[in-house]
Amino acid sequence: MKPGTTLRREDDHWVGSFAAMACPCELLIEECDESTARELLDVASRRAWWIEQKFSRYRDDNIVHAINAGNGRPVEVDDETANLVDFGATLTEHSEGGFDLTSGVLRRAWTFDGGSRVPDRAQVAELMKRVGWHRAKWNRPLLALEQGMEIDFGGIGKEYAVDTAVRDLLATNTQRSCVVNFGGDLAVTAARQDGRPWLIGVEGCDQPGVARNVLPLLRGAVATSGDSRRFVLHEGRRYSHILDARTGWPVLGAPRSITVLAQTCSEAGSMATLAMLKGVGAEDYLREQSYRFWIQA
Amino acid sequence: MAATDARNKREKPIGRALAAAACALLGRAGTASAADEPSAWSLDTAMLLYKESDSRVQDLSVAVSAIRDFGDQRLLGLSLTADTLTGASASGAIALDKPQTFTSPSGKATYSTPANEIPLDDTFKDTRFAASASWTQPLGRLYTGSAGLSVSGEYDYQHLGGNVSLARDFNKRNTTLSGGVAYSRDDIDPVGGAPTPLSQMPDVGVDFSKTGKQSKDVLDLLVGATQVLGRSTVVRVNYSYSRASGYLNDPYKFLSVVDPTTGDTIAHTPSAGLAGPDGVFLFESRPDSRTKQSVYAEMKHAFGRPVLELSYRYMTDDWNIDSHTLDGRLRWPLGASGYLEPHLRYYTQTAASFYRSSVPLGQSLPTYASSDFRLGQFDGVTAGIKYGFTSDSGSEWSARFEYYQQTGNVPDSMLIGNQLNREQFPDLKAIFLQLGYRFSL
Repeated sequence: MKPGTTLRREDDHWVGSFAAMACPCELLIEECDESTARELLDVASRRAWWIEQKFSRYRDDNIVHAINAGNGRPVEVDDETANLVDFGATLTEHSEGGFDLTSGVLRRAWTFDGGSRVPDRAQVAELMKRVGWHRAKWNRPLLALEQGMEIDFGGIGKEYAVDTAVRDLLATNTQRSCVVNFGGDLAVTAARQDGRPWLIGVEGCDQPGVARNVLPLLRGAVATSGDSRRFVLHEGRRYSHILDARTGWPVLGAPRSITVLAQTCSEAGSMATLAMLKGVGAEDYLREQSYRFWIQA
Repeated sequence: MAATDARNKREKPIGRALAAAACALLGRAGTASAADEPSAWSLDTAMLLYKESDSRVQDLSVAVSAIRDFGDQRLLGLSLTADTLTGASASGAIALDKPQTFTSPSGKATYSTPANEIPLDDTFKDTRFAASASWTQPLGRLYTGSAGLSVSGEYDYQHLGGNVSLARDFNKRNTTLSGGVAYSRDDIDPVGGAPTPLSQMPDVGVDFSKTGKQSKDVLDLLVGATQVLGRSTVVRVNYSYSRASGYLNDPYKFLSVVDPTTGDTIAHTPSAGLAGPDGVFLFESRPDSRTKQSVYAEMKHAFGRPVLELSYRYMTDDWNIDSHTLDGRLRWPLGASGYLEPHLRYYTQTAASFYRSSVPLGQSLPTYASSDFRLGQFDGVTAGIKYGFTSDSGSEWSARFEYYQQTGNVPDSMLIGNQLNREQFPDLKAIFLQLGYRFSL
């Protein structure tokens, strides 16, 4: 078994754990022998770490760094990166600019740590000059960002990692159902042999760590946007960590969290994000989409 | 409110676009999204046609069943069935080399059967409605409980039943033991009343000793075990005990009273001015209780994607009927979303101890007698094929076609004189066609 992973047996399944992409990752595996469980855990953790290494913005040896260091020059990207860029661009289009792969620089002004510091308007306005997909030149496979702009796959990378891990697990042909859970965004690989659903807890904001809703999941994926611990409370106003890339300011009136069920984790996560960007209209928006969802106001 | 305008503008659903974008991201063809989310309701609808050869029984039925998932493994099941039965069924009288006339069950008319044909009662037409409901939920961590109710009605038959069962998981859920009890009460109100067992078929319009409503009670007990063996094999065994008591006759079946030498039916002449049967016929008589025991074993094995299912059932009862059923089906995937499932079934049973083809005149009358072919010795073979297909929206279509052939046998020792030269047990051929559609709401 790979270093950094642990495996333990629960009542009727295995639980593999490791840390990747700055969050706790879990793999639940339907009852099977231990060597199969280890093999599956290796497959999932290898994929998580691979994605982390390739798309982390904290490294200087990967494609993200190459793009961000381009200084206006086009950088040729591989197919996988190009697919992610296309996906991000689609979300920008559907959110009319609210979601943006280049909005990561706003983190320099906003620290969502439960504290009360709100940046001054001038600082945000200055950073906004470096935000906006319309400023990027994307001509697959060539991507050029203006000097000072940065691309960040943080908003879609974790869900993508879940989906690719699912694909890798299915390719092992072990026929065991797994739940891939990377920091709360998760997917079920296949129906369980015994036909029972996995019971998935949706964490409550008021009591982190305590499942507020339990969701039986046969197949499909669940992703959550919003987090109980990531917000700024300023003068009695709660600023969610969902920043609107058009303004550089948090979406007003957004629920604390939105959880969406869909076929893939990428689909669920992007739906949750798009709904968040609707602010007070999030619930109405979700009702008009054909997804199951849970909102915590 | 500033947000009102934005909210009143109806949002265009973008689910499909997102799903497509996610599929493009993951480099694969789009698949169903609706089917993979636990839906509130999943519905199964089916239309079924059963048709016996020689325009005998035909049954057309429509069934809808629904399961509502309330989460936490709590399930509500509902089902509704309507079916129409038409055609003729064997009455139990023997074939003769001349036409025969009988009084119809209502007692108000007669009907005839051509020479050399096994007599059929073609006044048979019925419409049945059935409904059932069940509730299943976990009880504690390892137990699952279930309870259900069922009702059905025909113009001469009412059924009311209830059942409860409990299952417990062991051995990391690889073993499940279950037990259940079911009880039902059936009320029978035959057309023209229930004939007194072994009484003679009367002339038309003659009020004879018939009783009114009858009933029977059935108690079923079942214990079973399911065992998961390795990654791809599941084995299940059941034992069941069933005791029926009350009125167990078929009020429309009778026996021919025959000459002990020639084997031909004793002639009867209706009273002056009355229509009536031209032979002597006695209504059947069955014991008023029946205890059945059966064991059932089933194995499912997946060879990768293809799945083989084999089962065997042995049943024995205190009427001396023993039966064996062998059933096998193989589900073979066709492409990404279809499958083909050939099915083969073999059934054989011995005759009930009181089964006889006729009653010879002059011998002492038996307490119990029936010539209902379903209580005789016979074998049946079913061969069929099913095709199923899952559409992009996640709903499943299926079509099944089956052919059934039943061959019966009356031992020569039971036949008298001329009966040996005539066919006394009707062979039966039937087709079975089913169209199914399963979807979620």
